[in-house]
Amino acid sequence: MIYLDSAATSLLKPLAVEQAMLRALRGMASPGRGAHAPAMLAAETVLDCREEAAALFHVPDPERVVFTSNATHALNIAIRSLVKPGARVVLSGFEHNAVTRPLHALGAEMRVAGRRLFDPEALLADFARLLPGADAAVCTQVSNVFGYALPIEGVAELCKLHHVPLIVDASQAAGVLDVDMARWGAAFIAMPGHKGLLGPQGTGLLLCGETGEPLIYGGSGSESRRQDMPEELPERLEAGTHNVCGIAGLLAGIRYVRERGTAAILAHERMLLDMLCAELTGSGLELFTGPGQTGVLSLRFPQLDCESAAQRLAEHGICVRSGLHCAPLAHESAGTLETGTVRLSVSPFLSEGQIRESARILRNLAR
Amino acid sequence: MSLYLITFRSLTHAQRSARLLERRGMTATVIKAPPDLTGSGCAYAVTLRGRPEEAHALLRQNHMRVGRLFRRAADGTWEEARP
Repeated sequence: MIYLDSAATSLLKPLAVEQAMLRALRGMASPGRGAHAPAMLAAETVLDCREEAAALFHVPDPERVVFTSNATHALNIAIRSLVKPGARVVLSGFEHNAVTRPLHALGAEMRVAGRRLFDPEALLADFARLLPGADAAVCTQVSNVFGYALPIEGVAELCKLHHVPLIVDASQAAGVLDVDMARWGAAFIAMPGHKGLLGPQGTGLLLCGETGEPLIYGGSGSESRRQDMPEELPERLEAGTHNVCGIAGLLAGIRYVRERGTAAILAHERMLLDMLCAELTGSGLELFTGPGQTGVLSLRFPQLDCESAAQRLAEHGICVRSGLHCAPLAHESAGTLETGTVRLSVSPFLSEGQIRESARILRNLAR
Repeated sequence: MSLYLITFRSLTHAQRSARLLERRGMTATVIKAPPDLTGSGCAYAVTLRGRPEEAHALLRQNHMRVGRLFRRAADGTWEEARP
């Protein structure tokens, strides 16, 4: 089996992740629910994870690292904190449904910037034109469909210039590209734990430049007499029992990323992607490539719809994702809304041999 | 050396404060705060032996949201102290 679906979930993880989760399962209780040893061990692990994430993402205080169930959960908190019904929001043309559906539910007026694939200059020009008077902006750092790395630094600068709070969706960037809360001055940055950070499913992070409004209400282990949620982060946004086993795994994943370095991980993934593209040149497959692409590649077969192609690949032991990838806006921008694409995404643990073998099978299927 | 206790509303702040104090060479332990010291329901505290002024100043410098400071009296009760 060759796993090329890391943009959905990283299946291949450091051994330390599962070992940490097992230790948590056997020895940790719930932070904030007691001062006994298993509760305090859990609390120490949770704080360790906040501190590691704060260091990786340049967050000034670890309490501004909030744990969520996934990036969608984090984005919902961020959007519901900043966007009131009918508010005007500027977003990139490559946003995921995790952004567009909450905005739609709020009745936000959405202005879309940058519809051209791999054209950062056009995207910045659109943001500059649309930001004045906007209530908020949302921008993904990397398209989950095409691996297009959007010019997030430029978008952040424009948002500062126009005093528009920015939400960054770093779902495909965290663990691969530099994510810098301090430099960007973002209101919120959302990410999953189970993709580039190599943690387990059911984990996510919201980095908070602002305090934010709770999405769910309940026990926080503090100020229990009050019926309002605590005012302080992270408790304000973390109602209910923490996913301690997941956070322990996420901590091990983040430590791996910090030790290996995002630059080295990105270089490895780009090397694999370049190799894959070179191997597929002349195969008849339509490849969506461009400058600055991360380890995510969308393609279309000449005579095979994307779902059938993914099924055939699965029969050969190649794991890919097909369809719209929960991002119809991105497909609309790229002109692939009617067909969808087959998406291949690499990981830090994939080898050159696996890429060559995948390319051989793809070429055969394209004949 | 007297035993001191600093209250916090947030477990995270209590933990971070304990780590800061430990790094400064003070023995600090996170506990659940005695209920009669907080009044808002569950809260946390950090205990330390001596050096309350230094501890308080260090936590303030590092923007920890410090609550109240107490000293253990001879009869075992906590009496509020000024940093």
